[in-house]
Amino acid sequence: MQKSKKIVILGHFGVGKTSLIQRFVKDSFSDKYKVTIGVHITKKIVEVNENDSISLIIWDLEGTDEVQMIRQAYLLGTHGVVFVFDVSRPSTFQNLNSDLKIVAEKTPDTPLIIVGNKIDLVIQDELQSLLKDNNIEANYLTSAKTGDAVNEMFTHLATLLNDLT
Amino acid sequence: MTLLSQYKEQYINQSIQFVVIDLDGKVLESDQTFITLKQDGFIYDVHPFFISYSSILDSTEDSMTYNCVHLGEGDMELITDIRFIKKENHLLLVIYDLTEHYVSYQRIAQARNESIINSELVVLKNIELEERERFKNAFIQNFSHELRNPLTSIISITNLLEKTNLDNAQHQMVDFLKESNTNLRLLLDDILSISMIASGRLQLRNKVFNLLKLLELIAFTYTSKTKGTSISFLMDHDQKIPEFIEGDRLRLFQVLTNLLDNAIKFTEKGTIALKVILNQKRANKVSLRFEVNDTGIGIPSEKINTVFESFTQLEEEGKKGGAGLGLSIVKGLVELMGSEIKAESKSGKGSSFYFDVTLTYAMNLASKPIENTKNKTVDISKLKGDRKYKVLLVEDDERTQMVLFKTLMDTNLFFIDLVNDGAMVFETVINNNYDIILMDVDLPNVSGDQITKLIREFPFKNIKNIPIIGVTANVFEDNVDNYLKLGMNAVVPKPFDFNELLKAIVKLLK
Repeated sequence: MQKSKKIVILGHFGVGKTSLIQRFVKDSFSDKYKVTIGVHITKKIVEVNENDSISLIIWDLEGTDEVQMIRQAYLLGTHGVVFVFDVSRPSTFQNLNSDLKIVAEKTPDTPLIIVGNKIDLVIQDELQSLLKDNNIEANYLTSAKTGDAVNEMFTHLATLLNDLT
Repeated sequence: MTLLSQYKEQYINQSIQFVVIDLDGKVLESDQTFITLKQDGFIYDVHPFFISYSSILDSTEDSMTYNCVHLGEGDMELITDIRFIKKENHLLLVIYDLTEHYVSYQRIAQARNESIINSELVVLKNIELEERERFKNAFIQNFSHELRNPLTSIISITNLLEKTNLDNAQHQMVDFLKESNTNLRLLLDDILSISMIASGRLQLRNKVFNLLKLLELIAFTYTSKTKGTSISFLMDHDQKIPEFIEGDRLRLFQVLTNLLDNAIKFTEKGTIALKVILNQKRANKVSLRFEVNDTGIGIPSEKINTVFESFTQLEEEGKKGGAGLGLSIVKGLVELMGSEIKAESKSGKGSSFYFDVTLTYAMNLASKPIENTKNKTVDISKLKGDRKYKVLLVEDDERTQMVLFKTLMDTNLFFIDLVNDGAMVFETVINNNYDIILMDVDLPNVSGDQITKLIREFPFKNIKNIPIIGVTANVFEDNVDNYLKLGMNAVVPKPFDFNELLKAIVKLLK
């Protein structure tokens, strides 16, 4: 059996979790918003270096208003977490730091990557002051629409998880 | 088999699948209800979800349920709840097909999330629009304020120029210059009004005034304006309208004259008429309708609502001059009065603009004296004593300095000292006995209002009590109130009317 790692994608609804996965796995994008309910699971083999690859099992979870409401079963056996917010909608990052705290409690000792998505919708300068004003340190600023930083983000996480074993 | 158990088999069994796997994930048994599993195949090869089996083996729980797991491929929807139950040496999987239930739940979630996101976006959009609107109004206010200073100089210098020896041709040019100055000043006032209305800084100043006198003034103005043209002006008011009402005389005047000017602008020949109709009187309230009618080009019905927007003029009939602010000022002012301006029009036949406004009136005011009319020559005879008055002029703008200096000198009543730096004022005031100070507000180093405050706090009466007149372009109501609070005795707005300034001086020196 191929070495596999489970990652879960979390965040408020409508931030683009499904679109990020779609971009990464199928290199495609749709402007049409379809609400995810429950969980969709996809697999992608990711090359982590020249002669090594792992199978990334990506759990695309239903977005919630409250992180506390995430079903515990979905998080069982998680190796890595990606938390996504939408840079164009303040409601998705206003409580980011407390959201992240809850996530860390629910998935202890698990690497966490913070992603600000939809950067194509805001002006670069405003984005930086927005992050600063809200005291947010995002690891990646992505656009599922243009593909900006999407592969880098997933590959980075895959490499990180591979190195941990 | 009974009928009931047949049905049960048909409905329940069709939607539940049982699978047994060993501890390596190999399929031992499956009833194949809706997922076909190869015996001895690995369950995680069917769908990546099933890799979870190993997490369950690692956990301390005896069983675990996953809700709403999508197992479908491509367009085929299969949404399930899946229960893993640990048994000795194997795992039992119970898979419930709940696709129908979850699909309808998805539709509800879709509608809910979309409406939340949309309302968030609307709020954000509004914030952005308000921000832009605020910026625009602040910009316009600052800009028109900056224009006041040079305009004051132009107007004053034109007035001085008029008094010099001029030949006929030069006189004519000065007349044109004066007319342009007036137009520019009116336009500037309009722009300021509209931005103040938009930013909510304009407040009505309601006082008792003589309505009949106001209407007389309007009738006189527009009869003169239309004399010698193909338009005649008609005024018609209900005989029972009260003489004295409480309201903002200046703003009512502005509304009516804007409507009438607009009517004149778009009427070639015929009549323009102002009607005041008494709707009703009750207790001390009176409802009046003001109506301005014309026989002009009219407004096409599809354009009737856009005429009240700023900077719009109907294009078809050619530009008539002006910034297109008149009617939007009317709209804003009438709204401030708690009413709404309405328009009715027939293209080619003429237009009618009207509004109903409820005002307070006082019955026992019939004999109240009429207010002084502005622009009367100021009686300076009272000042002509045996000495000249010492005036300190605090002003940094050279042209305003020159104009004030010259016009004050011309009266032969004053000695004038000049200071152009806020920091120098105090020293000058202490070393001289001034009768009055004319104070600009925007000064280098220390502002005029702050100097005023300091003077008022001075321990010696002869300095503390010197009358101070603010001469400033910062004429917003809250600014003026603030200057008066800080100790100015009067505030004269720039561009200033010399008579107004002289009147203020006379009043304070008496």
